[in-house]
Amino acid sequence: MIYELTEEDMWRLLQKIAEEYDVFGSKEELGEVVFSKISSFSEVSEKKSSYSPKDFLIKRSENILEIPRAEKKAVIGVKSCDLRGFYLMDLQILNKDPFYTVRRQNTLFINFVCTEMCPGGFCTSFGGPVLDDYDIQVLHIGQSYFVEADPRYERYLAGFRPASDQDVFVKHSKEFNRKYGKIELNGIEKRMKWSSKLWTEFANYCISCGACNYSCPTCYCIDVYDDETGRKKEWDSCILEGFTKTAAGNVRPDLSDRLRQRFYHKFKYYKLSKGEYLCTGCNRCVDDCPVDIDIKEVITHDYDKE
Amino acid sequence: MITIKNEYLPEKMKPIRFRMETDDTYTIVFSKRTMSHAGQFYMLSVDGVGESPISVASGFGNPLTFSIKAVGSVTKYIMDHRDSAIGLRGPYGNTWPWKGADHIVAIAGGIGIPPIKALIEDMESEGNLSDLTVLYGARSPKDIVYKNEIEAWKKELDFRITVDNGDPSWKGNVGVVTTLIPGVERFKNGSAFVIGPPIMMKFSVQELIKHGFSPENIYLSLERRMECGIGVCGHCNIGQWYVCESGPIFRYSDVMNEPEVFL
Amino acid sequence: MTLTICPYCGTGCQIEVDYSGDHYTVHGYTRSVVNEGKLCIKGYQGLSYAGSRDRITSPMIRRGDVWTEVSWDEALDYVARRLTEIRDKYGPDSIAFQASAKCTNEENYLIQKIARMMGTNNVDHCARSCHSSTVAGLIRTLGTAAATGSIRSLKSTETFFVIGSNTTEQHPIIGTTIIRQKKAGKKLIVADPRRTKLASIADVFLQFRPGSDVALLNSMMFVILKKNLIDSEFIRTRTTDFDVFAAEIEKYPPEVTEQITGVSPDLVEKAAELYAGNRPSAILYGMGITQHIHGTENVMSVSNLALMTGNIGRYGSGIFPLRGQNNVQGSSDMGALSEFYPGYIPADSDGVERFEKIWDAKLPKNIGLMLSEMFDAAIDGRVKAIYLMGENPVITEANLSDVEKGLTNLDLFVVQDIFMTETAKFAHVILPASSALEKDGTFTNTERRIQRVVAVKDPPGDAKPDWWILSQLYSRLFHREAYRSPEEIFNEIRVAIPNYSGAKYENLYPDGKQWPINDQHPEGTEILHVDRFTRGLGRFMAIPYKPPSETPDDQYPFILTTGRNYYHWHSGTMTRRSDILERESPNPYVEISVNDAKKLSIRNGQIITVESRHGSIRLPAMVTSKIPDGIVFVPFHFKEARVNLLVGENLDPYSKIPEFKVVAVRVIA
Repeated sequence: MIYELTEEDMWRLLQKIAEEYDVFGSKEELGEVVFSKISSFSEVSEKKSSYSPKDFLIKRSENILEIPRAEKKAVIGVKSCDLRGFYLMDLQILNKDPFYTVRRQNTLFINFVCTEMCPGGFCTSFGGPVLDDYDIQVLHIGQSYFVEADPRYERYLAGFRPASDQDVFVKHSKEFNRKYGKIELNGIEKRMKWSSKLWTEFANYCISCGACNYSCPTCYCIDVYDDETGRKKEWDSCILEGFTKTAAGNVRPDLSDRLRQRFYHKFKYYKLSKGEYLCTGCNRCVDDCPVDIDIKEVITHDYDKE
Repeated sequence: MITIKNEYLPEKMKPIRFRMETDDTYTIVFSKRTMSHAGQFYMLSVDGVGESPISVASGFGNPLTFSIKAVGSVTKYIMDHRDSAIGLRGPYGNTWPWKGADHIVAIAGGIGIPPIKALIEDMESEGNLSDLTVLYGARSPKDIVYKNEIEAWKKELDFRITVDNGDPSWKGNVGVVTTLIPGVERFKNGSAFVIGPPIMMKFSVQELIKHGFSPENIYLSLERRMECGIGVCGHCNIGQWYVCESGPIFRYSDVMNEPEVFL
Repeated sequence: MTLTICPYCGTGCQIEVDYSGDHYTVHGYTRSVVNEGKLCIKGYQGLSYAGSRDRITSPMIRRGDVWTEVSWDEALDYVARRLTEIRDKYGPDSIAFQASAKCTNEENYLIQKIARMMGTNNVDHCARSCHSSTVAGLIRTLGTAAATGSIRSLKSTETFFVIGSNTTEQHPIIGTTIIRQKKAGKKLIVADPRRTKLASIADVFLQFRPGSDVALLNSMMFVILKKNLIDSEFIRTRTTDFDVFAAEIEKYPPEVTEQITGVSPDLVEKAAELYAGNRPSAILYGMGITQHIHGTENVMSVSNLALMTGNIGRYGSGIFPLRGQNNVQGSSDMGALSEFYPGYIPADSDGVERFEKIWDAKLPKNIGLMLSEMFDAAIDGRVKAIYLMGENPVITEANLSDVEKGLTNLDLFVVQDIFMTETAKFAHVILPASSALEKDGTFTNTERRIQRVVAVKDPPGDAKPDWWILSQLYSRLFHREAYRSPEEIFNEIRVAIPNYSGAKYENLYPDGKQWPINDQHPEGTEILHVDRFTRGLGRFMAIPYKPPSETPDDQYPFILTTGRNYYHWHSGTMTRRSDILERESPNPYVEISVNDAKKLSIRNGQIITVESRHGSIRLPAMVTSKIPDGIVFVPFHFKEARVNLLVGENLDPYSKIPEFKVVAVRVIA
């Protein structure tokens, strides 16, 4: 059931949610859109946040010998591409990593469906901008907020007016796809070539900063290590040399090997293993890459021509 | 505040026995009963040093045993501090698929032998040792692990051993372990389990196929950098698999087209 | 999330940080004109040191071998009393101060003020070992020792000439600016003995012998002269002394210099033609130019090259000395240098009277001891007390055995730092200070941009911001009111340094501004020397080539060049406390070429000895094709193999910088 809410209704919705959850929202601070605690709906910015809200689920670093615990948090203003990333990560790590699991089960994401494609974005290649799996999904058109909720959260929408057009999300998705088109994946998992020159070309420029991994809403890899405060896990980057290094050697000794691994994992291995590409077209990796390595090039490259 | 059980928490215990096998390899035994089957591994840890994935070297029901080569910070620490409490979590991974196979040729190179010891013990208690042939290749006589057990094994099953380089006292086979493969060609319709350094596995598989073994019946035990053991950290990824979850045992025909398989 | 500045290199990337306990999150500030939201791996992974358990949390005094925790009052009273006693007994020059290129402008300003009000110009810091050659060289030729353009202006550069800088590892976000421009079709010339990442994508790679910079640059200038690619109008109207300079250049045809540099003439020609012909061209340089006994002359040669081609003052052109530390530009601007008062007023000039008025005190008018000289003076007893803030000379200075000898000979050694470093172990008093994430203040980055530093968290335990510690000391020493905030100190800096006068805390946040910022330039100054040089006319200098202090011979047939790597920072006190950074580069190493390794039967990873006339270390070999035959490279991050033991005290006569880049060594398997 899709409901049609006014701006005041959105206030009331948030208040209802705030009875059970600590509410965070995307907020503009010094020109950056960041996630902060909010106390009213007017603080919420509908602009794309400067970084993915991944750290609500996977903390940048934490002690894994402590009891995995979570407070109930609601995050409003998340973009569909970020939220879809979390559903993709679920396929691999939900119910395995206790820290991710307890947070995932207790964080309510309220995503805003984009009405314009962000610069460089390509979410339409992955079914965006309207999600099929969501917690509470919002589409803001004109003065109306169209809201649909997953059965787990349907109760928050009780009392609001059902939308007269129950196809509004479907129509928006069609219109968005028509307007912005999509980059066809064309079976990228079969097209990519192991010995393509593309990987060496990327390696010529890449400075191993890890920004692509840190910004990505689908990258979940962590480094587990001991220090004087306990056993920690923290965000890791598969393009770093130490990622696969052992006393016996390194299966990916060159930067080009590791860059290839990142793209193979996203576009081939996850597809074969979980049936989904591990990318949502959010373009954050391109936005944050200091040398403009563009993941879209991996999709559009003509591997046969080489 | 909601909490959940923590898979990362190890069970801590001290080994009841410690034995040096070679200069840099040692065996530790715990009083805990082995709850795993041959092929599986545990994450062993020392607080403040780190964690390391180690294959189980004992069969189901026997005292939990590991045989470890001291190459990294954790494995070296345990060797130098024999009195330390060691964290254990597991068992993780899958098992050697020996049940139902006509005959098994298990080929172990170097430090690959511990999970084969587990296999021998599992087959002894739940199966038939006459269905097993073991080929073991060590670098040199002093690098042989399980020197005592091997004497008993030679009597109980078809256990063949070779060294890369001999010494004056060595009377047995000299040559890399692949030199023993022609001698087991008659088992080519059965299964082969291969474990050891990647280059040894690569040449062993080549030799097995040359002598008629089928890729669908050859199984490898792959090793990668592992940090969580539970399919979360991403370090052990090869192709569409995580070695800790879908492995460490892989059927060769499933992975033969992976360029990284023998790295 | 708090917006502040990354504490690592001179790029000065703006970061958004949230820190709780020992966990933090960090993102680049998307709107930043410096880094546009990008960060390098040190920015992403290198901030965990601030939350480390190793932080010193209480003042301590050592008596014999026993460290006792004391209160701030006790520690500060003791230090003030002892400094005064030593000064009164042995004279003001028996005390020396070491400032910190990692600390804020406010803190550096305060420490040099304390030194000078105590009566000594013995205040110096690690800038001595890094860009002192730049200061000495560019002040002579242009009048201002700082980058002439901005990072943003590099987007308009047509030809980049990078010499003596491994930019993608040392100033990664400036390096990536160059890479993006190269991808867009601009031209790149790289001059470096090692095949760095920029070298591997360059249009022209000049792989030259360490120490032959002047010969290389002069040969490029020879080509430019002969092919008449000079900017005659610019030379005529904006410069002086061209003729005597040109006469010297005549002696350096590339066919002749090839014997010295090892670079073939056609490459020199290509580079020269690009730099002079495809303008605007920018030169970016680092330690490879400055850390030589001819460092100042190297810098002046760089200046010659830019002047003769009119590549200064125009947007997209310029000279960019890539300042290493996050605030080494600022600490130099603040006069934490023994030959300069704030704003580069020479310490032995009448300009000092200005400060006597502002500070209401009698001040010394002489050149004080430079950093390396302080340790020598400690050895022979001329210096009895050193007050050191935020530096680790026992790892980072040259001639380390003398550094240690000097420190053990002091009557009083006070260390104000955040960790018990190798240097702090020699101290008598330790004052626990704050990291860059725990205080307010300003940093000035390599493009002269003054940016606001904002505290993200509180210092641990009883540790205090450095400005507070110095302010308390100041008040005890001179019986004046302590400063109540960094802003109060900054407002005094604005009076003391004309180039900073228009800067206010309000107009520096969230966007910093480049000095000079004053009434004429209320928004700061992006490009220097547009109409006139700071000294009036740009000055050419005739620089003859002279060999480095040490050359290979039978006893010591290799050249050792020292430097940094991407993952670690200087003595490693910050980066080696990050799990990922330490995982990426856990051990010391010596880079040696494939051929040399084969000749000496050295395997990759084998522990070998590298030995010079001054010292010896043992460390694993890293066999690589990045480095040419005859040269070895060792980074100085690892206290297990302190490569600066091998570096002697061969100093540039003007800047007193040691020759870290050329040491004759032998390699023993």
